[in-house]
Amino acid sequence: MAGGLISPSVNGAPEPVRAPALGGPTGWAWLLLPGGVYLTVLFVVPLAGLLVISLGMPDWTLTHYLRIGDSPVYAAVLRTTLEISLAVTTLAFVLGYPIAYALTTGGPTLRTFLLIAVVLPYFTSVLARTFAWIVLLGRGGIVNEILLQLGLISQPITMLYNRFGVIIGMTHIIMPLMILPMATVMSGIDQKLLRAARANGASPLAAFLTVFLPLSLPGVIAGVLLVFIYCLGFYITPALLGGLADLTITMAISTQVVDQLNWNFGSALSVVLLVTVLVILWIGSRLFPIQQLLGFSDGIGRDAAARQMGARWLMHVGSAANALDRWLPSFGGRGIPILAVILATLLLLPVLIVAYLSFSSSPYFVFPVPGYSLRNYQAYASSASWIEATFTSIRVALLAAGMATVLGAMLALGLSRGRIRGRGAMVALVLSPIIMPTIVVAVATYFLLVQVGLQGTEFGLALGHAVHAIPFVVVIVVANLRDLNPACERAARSLGAGPLATFRTILAPLIMPALIVAAFFAFLTSFDDVIYVLFLGIGTVNTLPMRMWEGIKQDVNPIISAVATLQTALAAIVIIVGALLGRRKNT
Amino acid sequence: MLKAIHDTAVVKTGGITLRSLGKRYGSAVAVDDVSLEVLPGEFVSLLGPSGSGKTTTLMMIAGFTVPDSGQILLDGKDITRLPSHRRELGVIFQNYALFPHMTVAENVAYPLRMRRMGKTAVENSVKRVLEQVQLGALAARYPHQLSGGQQQRVAIGRALVFDPPVLLLDEPLGALDKKLRQHLRTEIKALHKDVGKTMIYVTHDQEEALAMSDRVAVMHEGRIRQASSPRDIYRRPAELFVASFVGEANLVPVKLKGGVAYSSDGRRLEATRWDGDDMEAMLCIRPEHVRLDLGDVGMASGPQGTVVDSTYVGDATVIECETDSGLRLTSKVLNQSGDQIPTIGSSCRVRWAATDATILTN
Repeated sequence: MAGGLISPSVNGAPEPVRAPALGGPTGWAWLLLPGGVYLTVLFVVPLAGLLVISLGMPDWTLTHYLRIGDSPVYAAVLRTTLEISLAVTTLAFVLGYPIAYALTTGGPTLRTFLLIAVVLPYFTSVLARTFAWIVLLGRGGIVNEILLQLGLISQPITMLYNRFGVIIGMTHIIMPLMILPMATVMSGIDQKLLRAARANGASPLAAFLTVFLPLSLPGVIAGVLLVFIYCLGFYITPALLGGLADLTITMAISTQVVDQLNWNFGSALSVVLLVTVLVILWIGSRLFPIQQLLGFSDGIGRDAAARQMGARWLMHVGSAANALDRWLPSFGGRGIPILAVILATLLLLPVLIVAYLSFSSSPYFVFPVPGYSLRNYQAYASSASWIEATFTSIRVALLAAGMATVLGAMLALGLSRGRIRGRGAMVALVLSPIIMPTIVVAVATYFLLVQVGLQGTEFGLALGHAVHAIPFVVVIVVANLRDLNPACERAARSLGAGPLATFRTILAPLIMPALIVAAFFAFLTSFDDVIYVLFLGIGTVNTLPMRMWEGIKQDVNPIISAVATLQTALAAIVIIVGALLGRRKNT
Repeated sequence: MLKAIHDTAVVKTGGITLRSLGKRYGSAVAVDDVSLEVLPGEFVSLLGPSGSGKTTTLMMIAGFTVPDSGQILLDGKDITRLPSHRRELGVIFQNYALFPHMTVAENVAYPLRMRRMGKTAVENSVKRVLEQVQLGALAARYPHQLSGGQQQRVAIGRALVFDPPVLLLDEPLGALDKKLRQHLRTEIKALHKDVGKTMIYVTHDQEEALAMSDRVAVMHEGRIRQASSPRDIYRRPAELFVASFVGEANLVPVKLKGGVAYSSDGRRLEATRWDGDDMEAMLCIRPEHVRLDLGDVGMASGPQGTVVDSTYVGDATVIECETDSGLRLTSKVLNQSGDQIPTIGSSCRVRWAATDATILTN
C-alpha cells in the first residue's frame, strides 16, 4: 500500500465540493473517455471475468462455491481472516485515536513530529516494513535479544510465524490508514466548540465525550471501514509473518492460482472476498459517505440515524462523567500528548531500526551493531541481480506513472468540470482500484493478460500498476482543482484568451505542481508493489520488491536492510517534494 | 424582542474585579497590568484594535487562559485558578460556537445536562428560554439550518439558561451584516436592561461600544488606557490613542505656557486650562466642534484659513480647511435646509469653544 488512500495533500476539513451546476455536460466531459475506457478494460472486465471463471465457464456450475461452503478448511480460513481483521482494526483504532487527536489539537512541534511519524511509514513499502518486523520479532531478533540481555526472559520467546506476529505487524502497517481519515475529520472540528462546552459547565472529559467524540465519529467510521477492508485483502504481511495455522483467504487465493493452478476455485474465493468487501462498503456508505474523505462528496449526510443514537448515548456518558469531575484528578493536560508521542515513536521505530542495522559492519543482525560500515550497500551495488531488478522496477514504474498521470489528470479535469450525469458512479469506478483488495484485482488482471499473451511482460505489469495508481493521481489533482479560484480563468477569458489559451496559460501552470506530486506518488505505488508482480510477472519479470520478497522467504539477507532503507529514503524524498511543491503553491 | 427572564433581581451579584492581570506569550506581552472593577449589573465594553489584549482579557475571565500574574474576583471570591466549567459565567462566542451535531433545543439544554438537572426541569427551562428568545418553533432545527440572527439568539439562550450572574460576549456581532448588527445591538441592550446581568462585551467597533455600554474600557498594547462613560471617552479622551481610536479627531501640536496653549507660530489657541508649564502637548478637537465662519471673516476670532476640500456624506458635509500657518483641520457640518455649502477656495475663519478642545499631554 505504498501510497494508500488519503494523500497528505488532501487533508483539511472534508468540505463538500460545490454541487454540479445545472445544465448539460460540458466539453470537459470528453476527457473522461480515455481513462474510463482504460479502467473498464483493465479493471471492470477482469473482475467480471473472475465471476465468469468462478462459475466454471463454459460448463456453468456452482461447485466451486459449494466447495468453499462444505470444506471445514475454508470455513477455518474465513474465520481466521475475520478474527485477524477484527483484532487488527480494534487495536489500530484504540492506538490510532490518541495519535489523531494529538495530531489535530497539539502544538506545532508536536503536530509536525506526529505527521512525520504517520506519513513516513505510510509511504514506505509494505515489504520494507514487514521485513523490519521479521528482524525485530525473530527468535534471534532484536526484541528477544534485548529481553535476554535485560534478563527478563531466559530463552527466546516465539513472536514470529504465529498470530501474535501477524497482528502486531499488520496493526503497525495499517495504523496510518486508520489515523489519516480520523485526523482529516478532527481537523475540521472547531476548537471553539470545546471552549463553549467548558463555558457551559462541562469538565474537560465531558466536553470531549459530548462534543469532540461525536463530531469525530465520521472519521472513526471511515477509518475503521477502510482498515477492516484492507485487512481482509491483506496478503504480504500475513504471508510473511503468519504461521501455518494463520492461513487467510488471500493466501488461499494465491495457493489456488499460483501453486495449484486451480483458476476456477481461486476465482470463487476471490469473488467471495470481493463480495464481502462490497457488502461492507455498502453498509458503510449508509453510515458515512466515504467519498467525502477523498474530497468528492456532492452533499452532506449529517442526519444519519445511527450517529444520532451514538451522540445521544455519549451525552448521557458525558453528563455522568461531569458528576464525577469533582472527585477525579484533572484529566487531559499532558497525558494525551505524551501517549501520542510514545505511540508515534513506536510507529517510526521499526523502519529506523532497520536503517540503523543496514549500516552494521556485521553480516548478521546483532543489536547494538558492532561497528558501522557500508558493506550492505556495497553488496547491493555489486550484485548484478539486485541492480538488474532495480532497473526493471524503474522501467516499469516510469511506464506506469506516465500512463497513470496522463489518464488520471484527464479524469480529474473531466470529473471536476464535466458536469456529467452519473458522476457518482464514475467517481466510484475511479476510486475502486485502491479500495478493492489488490490481490483480487491482480488475479483478475492476470487472467485477462493471459488471454492476450501479455503475462510476464514489463508492459503488462505496468498496465496493472497504472490501474492502481490512477486513483491517487485523480485524488491529488481533484483536490488541487478544487482549490483553484475559478475567477482566474474567467479573468483570462475576459482578457481575450480562448479556451485553449486559457488552459495553456492559466490552468496548466497552476495544476503543474499537483501533477508532479501525483506522478511521484504514482511512481512510488508501482515501484513498491509486490502483489501485481507475483501474479502478472509469472517469475519472468523480476522487480526490486520481487527480489526482496524472494530474499525474505529464503533467508533474512542483510542486503535487504539496505534496500529497505533506500526505499524509506525514496518515500521521504517523495514526501518532501510533495510538501515543497504544496508550500510553493500556497505562497 | 427578548423578554425578561427573571423579575428584577433582589440581591445584585455579578461583580467582577480584575487586579493587575498580566499575560505574556513568549516575549510578546498580551495583557499588561490590567485592573478593572465591574459593578454588578454593569455593561462594560473592552474596546480596542486587534492585538490590544481585549480578547485575552476576556478569555482569562472565562478561564480559558491562565494569567501569569494578577487576580480575578467574582463577587469578592478569587476565581483566578478555577477551571472554566466551574466559574458559572455565561459566554457568547464569536461565531457563536453552537454544537453542530445538536438541535437548537439540545444546544440550549447542554448547560443544564452538564449540571445533571432532572429531565422535566431541563425540558421546562429550555422551553421557557426558547420562548424568550423567540425560537420556540425552531427547537428541532440544527444550527446550520438557521440564519445568522437566529444562531445568535440560540447562543444567547444557551448562555442564559443556567442563569449565570455574568455574561461574557466576545465580538458577538462580528460575523453579521451592518443592518442586522444595528438591530441586534438594540436587542442586546434591551436584554441587559431586562435581565440585569453584568455584561462584559469585547468589540473593536467603537460605535457599538459607545452605543451599548455603561462604561467603555479602551485597550491598547495590552493596557487599559481609559475606562469611563461613553460620553467621557469621546469628549474627554485621556490620551492620544483614545482620542484617535474613538471617533475622528483634529490633533494640533501645541506648546503649553502658563496653562495656555500656543500653536507653533505662537498664536494662542482656545483650550481647556491645563496646569502644566512649558511642555509639548496635543490639542484634540472633534470635527463637529470645529466651526467655519465664511464670507466676511474680518471680525471673528480664531485662525484664518482656506477651504481646500468639501465632501458631501449625506447627513453632513465634511470640510477640510487649511489655516495660514499650515494647519489642516476637518470640520463636520450637519446639512440643514438652506445652509450654504462652502465652495473650495473660499476663505474662512476657524474657531471652536475652549471646552471642546482637550489637551493631551502624553
